[in-house]
Amino acid sequence: VYYSSIGMVLALLVLTCSPATSRALAQVELTWSPSMVKGAAGAPVTIVEFSDYQ
Amino acid sequence: VLEEYDGRVRLVFKDRPLAMHTLARPAHEAARCAGAAGKYWPYHDRLFAAQPAFRRADLLAYAGELGLDRDAFAKCLDERRFASDVERDIEQAQALGINSTPTFLINGQLVIGATSLEEFRSIIDKALQERR
Repeated sequence: VYYSSIGMVLALLVLTCSPATSRALAQVELTWSPSMVKGAAGAPVTIVEFSDYQ
Repeated sequence: VLEEYDGRVRLVFKDRPLAMHTLARPAHEAARCAGAAGKYWPYHDRLFAAQPAFRRADLLAYAGELGLDRDAFAKCLDERRFASDVERDIEQAQALGINSTPTFLINGQLVIGATSLEEFRSIIDKALQERR
């Protein structure tokens, strides 16, 4: 997973899996709006939440 | 988690309105309109508190409650100014095989569903150790 914010690539993690899911992820560039981020820009851990308001 | 791990964790919210939730997509677009006016997170929290009351009138009312310019907000909503941005998030989720919500990536580790705080702590602590 590429984490990218308005054109800036921040990290590269490929084929990660968790014990809970044991599923490999595709290689995808993620982009986001700065207004949809909470927390320190330089934080070592990034939680990306995919969610639905309804 | 953000309070507990202040400075060490950041949260990125990505839109993943499910197709079965017919009122969700306008709500996600509305949140981005609020974000353009500097009120993304208050509006985000308001939507979760109000779900599933997401008719146009509801979305405008929440904007008014937060002190947003109602006319400008209505224009943004009606023009569907952020429709393509929401669609881009959906496409990225689909490319990752994310089809249920909530789904989290914690430094790339996939976590599906409403996970306990303890589980979050465990995954975050491990990620922090790996970054040392």
